Amino acid sequence: MKENFRVKSFPSRTGSPEAKKLKVFISAFFMALIIFNFSLSTCYAKIYIDITSPAIKKLPIAIQEFSGTEGKQIADIIRDDLEFTGFLLCIDRAAYIESSAEVFNPKNWAVIGAEAVIKGTVRGEQNLTAVVSLYDISEGREVLRKEYKGARASIRHLSHSIASDIYQHITGEKGIFKTKVAFIAEDEGKKGLYMMDWDGTGIKRLGIQGNFVLRPHWSQDGSKIVYSSERGGQWGIYLLDFTKMSEKKVFASRGLNIAGNFSPDGDELVFSSSQDETYGIYNIKLSDSKLTRITSARWIEISPAVSPDGKLVAFVSDRGGTPQIYIMNSNGHDVRRVTFEGLYNTSPSWSPDGKKIVFVGRFSGKHQIFIISPEGSELIQLTDKGNNEDPSFSPDGRFIIFSSDRNGGNSIYIMRANGESQKKITPPWLRTFGPRWSPN
Amino acid sequence: MAKAEPKKVETVQVKEAEAVASQFPNIYFDFDKYNIREDAKPTLKSAADWLIKNNDANMILEGHCDERGTNEYNLALGEKRAKSASDYLVSSGVAKNRLDIISYGEEKPFCKEQSEDCWQKNRRVQFIPAKAGK
Repeated sequence: MKENFRVKSFPSRTGSPEAKKLKVFISAFFMALIIFNFSLSTCYAKIYIDITSPAIKKLPIAIQEFSGTEGKQIADIIRDDLEFTGFLLCIDRAAYIESSAEVFNPKNWAVIGAEAVIKGTVRGEQNLTAVVSLYDISEGREVLRKEYKGARASIRHLSHSIASDIYQHITGEKGIFKTKVAFIAEDEGKKGLYMMDWDGTGIKRLGIQGNFVLRPHWSQDGSKIVYSSERGGQWGIYLLDFTKMSEKKVFASRGLNIAGNFSPDGDELVFSSSQDETYGIYNIKLSDSKLTRITSARWIEISPAVSPDGKLVAFVSDRGGTPQIYIMNSNGHDVRRVTFEGLYNTSPSWSPDGKKIVFVGRFSGKHQIFIISPEGSELIQLTDKGNNEDPSFSPDGRFIIFSSDRNGGNSIYIMRANGESQKKITPPWLRTFGPRWSPN
Repeated sequence: MAKAEPKKVETVQVKEAEAVASQFPNIYFDFDKYNIREDAKPTLKSAADWLIKNNDANMILEGHCDERGTNEYNLALGEKRAKSASDYLVSSGVAKNRLDIISYGEEKPFCKEQSEDCWQKNRRVQFIPAKAGK
């Protein structure tokens, strides 16, 4: 827990004032996404691996070093992305018979066990054009060819776009390679809001004021985040709109005000407040600030999370003597308890299909990540090292992001939704907390 | 010199009020609990007596937790601790409008080591005096 953090080399700490930094960062954020690509061949719907199947046989794939500018780096990023999903097995390049320069021949790949092959060429210096082909070995032909254009400085985004298309072609699902993560980091003792790519690269600090900031929540269109911050002795709820590049106070009062998440349409927000000295879960309409009280309690009621269909709210209450997870209808009716194992269950977050809730449970004095169905069945423990907090699902529901102190300090990790492939994504010199995956 | 005296007296009075208030030690709580312990009652009683005697002073009660909990729940727990202390002062005769509460959860630890001794020091309510009207 006690580390000295090397922050001097941190890019966002140099130069301009906070507000300007935020603007610069946000422009870069959107600029990076302007990568042109268009398909040169029509793809058809053949699903190579059914990732919804409980027993998945990994698809063996060969990703050849691309020829041309930064060809190796691009191929490596694609390989790392695809391999992380756990659905593909990337065959070691040392085993390849065919070189990058040679024409595709399915026989060269069948003998090393590849079922699909990715080949590509890159042209240009500052502005890169990559032409990428995906080959199906059993059919012995090219099944996808696409051209991508992007700045060399945005090479990671370009590579993630390629990985995303290949993943979609192979699995039929959108994938997460172009997503971002909003999170909290502690820099010289002060907590602030940060953003990075899903793989932990491109860390940027957002120029947000306030001494204490809690974990953010994204709107479903990815254009806004909402978070709680203590300013001038009051806990308030603030909204950052990326399209307007501005922050706005949503609600602040005496007592504790802590943001939950957005409604599916993005026009409403749930939050918990103790403004009148009793706890309550509230709904606020962002367009006219209309406040609706959903619950009222003398005990603790906190961390509300609206389900993806907007019909249910999961929350934490200690009404039974210990903090447990409950769900209710969005009007506050029909409250039922979800967790019964253990004496401490908090921080609920829904899977995108609404079929699971991921949360933090205390087990043998340590905090671990669990998933459970909203009916309270199918409880599964996903972590067992150190303390783990702030879990939430990736937009495709295949992964979970969380924070952990398992290696000293505090870092952000990602894992598959079944607990496999747990991987630290933030650097050791930055204490990080409260990650939230962007919806797109 | 005689003219300056009242001003000087007033200044001393404010300082005195702060100095006396800061003599209230923190009160402590059990793990995951927000009920007032027996060992906290003498401090709360003397804080109540002092507030009743010093009408020009208000009090902010700051609730805190140890790090072993999730951030949001710890904020609620810290607030409940401050609220318990506030309720105790009110039941001892202090006007409610002279008391304010705020929680920092686990965000402002007093002690940063990972030991029970340290965690106990962090599970606390601090008494922060404020001048009336502030």
